[in-house]
Amino acid sequence: MSPQPQAAVGAPLSRVDGRLKVTGEARYAAEHDVDGAAHAVLVDASIGRGRITAVDTRAALAHPGVLRVLHHGNAPRLPYRANSGSNNPPGRRLRVLQDDLVRFHGQPVAVVIATTLEAAQHGARLVKVRYDAEQPSTDLAEGEPGKPETYARGDAEAALRDAAVRLDLSYRLARNHHNPMEPHATIARWDGGSLTVWDKTQWVVGTQQELAAVFGLAKDAVRVISPFVGGGFGSGLRCWPHTVAAALAARVAERPVKVVLSRRQMYAGTGFRPAYDYRLRLGSDRRGRLKGAIHAIDGETSSYETFTEGIMTAGQTLYSLAAVRQAYRTVSLDVNTPVWMRGPGFASASFVLETAMDELADRLGLDPIELRRRNEPDEDESNGHRFSTRRLRECCTVGAREFGWESRPLQPRSRREGDWLIGMGMAAGVYDPGRMPAKARARLDADGTAVVEAASSDMGPGTYTAQTQVAADALGLTMRTVTFRLGDSLYPPTPAHGGSMTMASVGSAVLDACDQIRRQAIELAVADRESPLHGADAEDVVVRAGRLHLRSDSARGETYRSLLGRNDRAHLSADGSYAGPPDSERLTVHAYNATFAEVAVDATLGLVRVRRMLGVYDAGRIISSKLAESQAIGGMVGGIGTALMEHTITDHRDGRIVNANLADYLVPVNADVPEVKALYLEGNDPDADPLGVKGLGEVVQVGVAPAIANAVFNATGRRVRELPITIEALLQN
Amino acid sequence: MHPFTYTRASDVPEAIAAGRRGGRYIAGGTTLVDLMREGVERPETVVDISGLPLRDVVATERGGLRIGALVTMAEAAAHPKVRALFPVVSEALELSASAQLRNMASIGGNIMQRTRCPYFRDPTAACNKRDPGAGCAARGGFNRGHAILGASDSCVATHCSDVAVAFAALEATVRLLGPDGRRQVPIAEFLLRPKTSPDREHDIGDGELITAIELPALPRPLQSGYLKVRDRQSYEFALTSAAVALHVHGGVIRTAKVAAGGVGTVPWKLPAVEEHLVGERPSQSLWATAAAKSADGASPLQHNRFKVELLKRTVERQLRIVGGTE
Repeated sequence: MSPQPQAAVGAPLSRVDGRLKVTGEARYAAEHDVDGAAHAVLVDASIGRGRITAVDTRAALAHPGVLRVLHHGNAPRLPYRANSGSNNPPGRRLRVLQDDLVRFHGQPVAVVIATTLEAAQHGARLVKVRYDAEQPSTDLAEGEPGKPETYARGDAEAALRDAAVRLDLSYRLARNHHNPMEPHATIARWDGGSLTVWDKTQWVVGTQQELAAVFGLAKDAVRVISPFVGGGFGSGLRCWPHTVAAALAARVAERPVKVVLSRRQMYAGTGFRPAYDYRLRLGSDRRGRLKGAIHAIDGETSSYETFTEGIMTAGQTLYSLAAVRQAYRTVSLDVNTPVWMRGPGFASASFVLETAMDELADRLGLDPIELRRRNEPDEDESNGHRFSTRRLRECCTVGAREFGWESRPLQPRSRREGDWLIGMGMAAGVYDPGRMPAKARARLDADGTAVVEAASSDMGPGTYTAQTQVAADALGLTMRTVTFRLGDSLYPPTPAHGGSMTMASVGSAVLDACDQIRRQAIELAVADRESPLHGADAEDVVVRAGRLHLRSDSARGETYRSLLGRNDRAHLSADGSYAGPPDSERLTVHAYNATFAEVAVDATLGLVRVRRMLGVYDAGRIISSKLAESQAIGGMVGGIGTALMEHTITDHRDGRIVNANLADYLVPVNADVPEVKALYLEGNDPDADPLGVKGLGEVVQVGVAPAIANAVFNATGRRVRELPITIEALLQN
Repeated sequence: MHPFTYTRASDVPEAIAAGRRGGRYIAGGTTLVDLMREGVERPETVVDISGLPLRDVVATERGGLRIGALVTMAEAAAHPKVRALFPVVSEALELSASAQLRNMASIGGNIMQRTRCPYFRDPTAACNKRDPGAGCAARGGFNRGHAILGASDSCVATHCSDVAVAFAALEATVRLLGPDGRRQVPIAEFLLRPKTSPDREHDIGDGELITAIELPALPRPLQSGYLKVRDRQSYEFALTSAAVALHVHGGVIRTAKVAAGGVGTVPWKLPAVEEHLVGERPSQSLWATAAAKSADGASPLQHNRFKVELLKRTVERQLRIVGGTE
């Protein structure tokens, strides 16, 4: 079939759902109008570990409006069938109100159901829970690590022993919470034996499967609806306890029930980016050629599940290294289970790797970009696979030129403006974007409009818009005549909306469905005696703005409308799919960036101010340049948070999260966000997937924190190996 | 939220009567409503005083200013007389909270605001301020933001108002009206150190209402300003801050008013720094030697040791900014 002209794809279009969002018409999880919904509020454990010895519900039940109080002593037992899908990590998942064990501070231990939100909230305060408390273990440094996941190539010990230059560096990375603007919320309704859930989730299919497993239902008996997600960053990648609690409460109360987590509850009620203790030993020769690396990584997990993430990949693939050894241990703590957060694993690893590379460059007196260039691998050295595209050097070159890298202070602490020390830093970023099987369906109606559906999700990157762009070009329609629907488990299944896989996976399925429809229409036209295209070579027909015509003679053609109308076809439809990469693929598809930062550090007060940032990305084809820029800005802002502010603080005496609110858990405000610029390298990655995209939502936050940390070093001469970088760490100047 | 009764006072005597019956005054509600939602504050009756005629900023006969208790933070910050006479007050206000909060919050309410200690704000944590006798979770817990000055065994929470630091520096007076008539209390006496009863934070009786804050006349010309050090550039409470006002005549400092924030259980007046400055000629070394006294008597906790040095540097910086280096 003839390739379609590209009209919508690549254009800097505004969001198709923008008007709905800014006018408040977009319905978020808690806003769906479900008749007769009662309100439920969770009661959270006020100890960090132990057993519940008594639950006194009398005062709560006596409060006007309170309908029921559920706890482990009276809640129905749930089947909790095994479910290795739904992003459940290995382990035994938390069973909501099924036993008297408290596994972490803030664990839901009761649910108060009431006719009004106020009654439910007050009722929750009136529930008196007694505990037999034990000392929780919540400190990563004190916990007992599990058996390591290991990787090795070459003899890293020997390589380090023989290396002319050796670094031995220890890092501490703080726990981060996603803190999306929209709180997590669920409305659950039972209709006989089937369950409908309006939920904040990044994966309706995963939540559907988990609820079916928890309640012992057939998958088709559960429907999950989530048309809009007010930010996620990964927090919506699992079905959390409050969603089960809502469904459980609705079943007991025999009416729909709504649960909205408070900001405080979001900290123990969803996941988080785990804290890490990370020791890196790195050796090179005097010219900066890396010789060996040994990584010892300890990360947080819960006592009941083993969460791991891709923290090892970058150390294996980003630079050419003959000898690498890695040991990644999870430390089981009395905390809730972590979950992926933007740039998962890679962002944490990049802080270590990329600040270490900066130290090495400084030690060798090399330009940090030159050091990276000298260690550019020809292939993925972890498996011998070819890189589909790898344009990291180009990212660095373009970035250096655009940022004015050559004007950086060559000596640390050598540039001063008044009280401020000025420095510049850069870091490379890599991410391994997912490509997973996905389905979509499309229908072209006789009026020349089309509807495309896929379960999917849009947590903010612009899935609605970008999928509409892909569909519009494949169908040869304008953006306005295509409607893309998502966020419903009744739609064709798609993978989780995370891991930078939506564009490649869902987009390729959408492309397939729409290509099929266009083909059907073209074949219908060339076979139709009454069509101006009758007898034409189908390969020579393209569609633009709803009109089929010959590529070689645009005057010869007709519209979808006339074609379908004349042929009495109410619509054409097709099911599209994307199978994911073939098992036999010997290809590494990674997205890259080079991130540059300029900071000012108050020489005596220790304040750090990011003055400007630039990210240059190799992410394959860019479907929507405007949304891609927004993504990059968001990633860089997130990276400023990780570098300088974000830190979930646990009081290890009782496992309480101390700063579970947005006044004490700091994220950047506008005043902290300087001039931020994003550039995407033009081109595509034809080997990656049918669209040639590599995914960009994750890679944009990788490398940001180390670029800032390297700039802080360049400004002050001080190397901070603990995140976030605080005033007190810089006060020792 | 604990159920409560809401009434609206139509004049000052009605407000005082309602307050005397146990009602809690509410104006902008930016602190009280938050704390009620968290279950920290549980008033039975809330008395809305936002309609009372306490919204004027007037010059006093001797050259001071009287700011009505219900003047919003935004109005006070932008008021031409405040800007002209006491820039330190405008700056402290503008570095506080967010624009939205400054539009709601009143000056009287601002100095009454309660601490940001996270254990105080979490009803499941031990806190003597919230629940006398319960203990202090902060002293042995996470205490990076807490006080290094003025703390007691029972409480280490900071007073978190910025403008109260400026008021403390300037030696402002709190004007009160209550069932027994009018009172005027210096701000240093109005805001109480925790000692053994950290739940008692103000010298204010049942039914007493703050009517105004009075800024005294000070010798002119007076240079003044506020510096706030924090982890992010906006919308955050101070780790350290410094309010400085200086009157220099004939090249000699004749009057020095200095207080620090973010470090004390109350806004921390620095008389030793002031005394060191008066009679001296401004110089870089004077700022340093004066500021070196600003943390005298500090007793830091596990996570806030850095505040001792940061406080000295903050005060030194602000002395230089206000006083110059000639």
